[in-house]
Amino acid sequence: MIQVKNISKSFNGNKVLNDISVEFFPGNVNFIIGRSGSGKSVLTKCIVGLMEVDQGDIFFDNRNFTLLDRWDRKSIRQEMGMLFQGSALFDSMTTEENVMFPLKMFSSMSLSEMKDRVDWCLQRVNLEGKNKLYPSELSGGMQKRTGIARAIAMNPKYLFCDEPNSGLDPQTAIVIDNLIREITYEFKSTTIVVSHDMNSVMEIGDKINFIYEGNLWWQGNKMDILHTDNQEINDFVFPSTFMKEIRDNLKGI
Amino acid sequence: MSAIFRHIGKYAQLMGNTFSKLERARVYKVLIPREVDKIGLQSLGIVALLSLFMGAVVTLQTASNIDSGWIPRWTIGFTTRQTMILEFSSTIVCLILSGKVGSNIASEIGTMRITEQIDAMDIMGVNSATYLILPKIVAAMFIFPFLVIMSMFLGIGAGAAIGSGTGVISLTDYIYGLQYSFEPWQVSYALIKTVVFAFIITSVSAYHGYYTRGGALEVGQSSTRAVVYSIILIMISNYVLTQLLLL
Repeated sequence: MIQVKNISKSFNGNKVLNDISVEFFPGNVNFIIGRSGSGKSVLTKCIVGLMEVDQGDIFFDNRNFTLLDRWDRKSIRQEMGMLFQGSALFDSMTTEENVMFPLKMFSSMSLSEMKDRVDWCLQRVNLEGKNKLYPSELSGGMQKRTGIARAIAMNPKYLFCDEPNSGLDPQTAIVIDNLIREITYEFKSTTIVVSHDMNSVMEIGDKINFIYEGNLWWQGNKMDILHTDNQEINDFVFPSTFMKEIRDNLKGI
Repeated sequence: MSAIFRHIGKYAQLMGNTFSKLERARVYKVLIPREVDKIGLQSLGIVALLSLFMGAVVTLQTASNIDSGWIPRWTIGFTTRQTMILEFSSTIVCLILSGKVGSNIASEIGTMRITEQIDAMDIMGVNSATYLILPKIVAAMFIFPFLVIMSMFLGIGAGAAIGSGTGVISLTDYIYGLQYSFEPWQVSYALIKTVVFAFIITSVSAYHGYYTRGGALEVGQSSTRAVVYSIILIMISNYVLTQLLLL
């Protein structure tokens, strides 16, 4: 479980996160949603330690991440997997080398054991046989799947996905969504997904956290979204008249 | 002024991270030879070409400037040797390498930064500074002296070939000039300079790449800054080292 307690973050006096407290549970796909510039990416970067918080604490299974220096965070980091918006694959490495990278750095596996593990991860994301391709030879969806394979190589307890569907067509986006959900349930990992994609939220979201102007504005599940009176989340999730009509129809079901 | 101190502080912090908390030794066994190839062996051609022509030109220019009969012809060999050993092969070759190697390092690391590859390493728990920068520094400090020694031999050899081939000096006079008042310490001085320059080129370029923010435009700017600052620091340290080691 990841617990965020009263964290705040400012840039040049401009408060981006304002006293946010939230809990993310294992075996759940936890979404962080919000408009561009609302602070959701900063919140995620603070949780993974790419940014330092100004105040507050972040706990990974009761281990206070904020109190540790960057070297002592290493053991917790090795329990994290992250899928980046742009995949962030190492472009000088093949698919196989990308997935093998964390294993080479941290595991005590032999080369054949690592190759077996890589094959398993690639097979898990339906990329078997693509071992020797470079990222530039992969489509956007395949790059995302490679990113997921690299993220799960070390059996992560905490999985972070930053805009996993950006730039993907709707069908490929659903493939990635389903993969994230399956892996979350399979590994019992605490998964945090930052997304604008409401289709993803409604498809795989277990817990939804809406950030508005640096504040945690609303929490609930996908059914709660249909019935909430919160103006800001309604404006975000159902921005058009067409979407509002769909919501009203669904409410009636 | 505060910006200069901020850069110095960030550079020192990055170097601290680069040389502390190293990753497993087996990682460097793969990375360092790869960097030796990329930084050193792939620069052999340009260094060889420049050294050959520079040795030949120095020989011809010295010959064309000796009008007085009081100045012996072997001075041509002596001048070529001193020019190649003291300045061209160490300083000028490193300035050229700062353009080739420095811009390459800054753009490679800068691109990794803006495409979040460095963030990916950090999140995994890899010390990205030591993984990316240390092998480049070690490789350059190891291979640059070999490039410089090769440059010395090629430049002096080209001077001998052109000098005797065009008839401006006999081979005997040229060799006499090469041997005249030779001080082996000057070669050591050149190699010490080279090692320092190798560190400057790789670390300064890596610094500019590592702290790149933005997109492709900023990567280009980092690359330019890496070369400019490397050249400035090489020239300053060239003066300081000459003052310390030769006088």
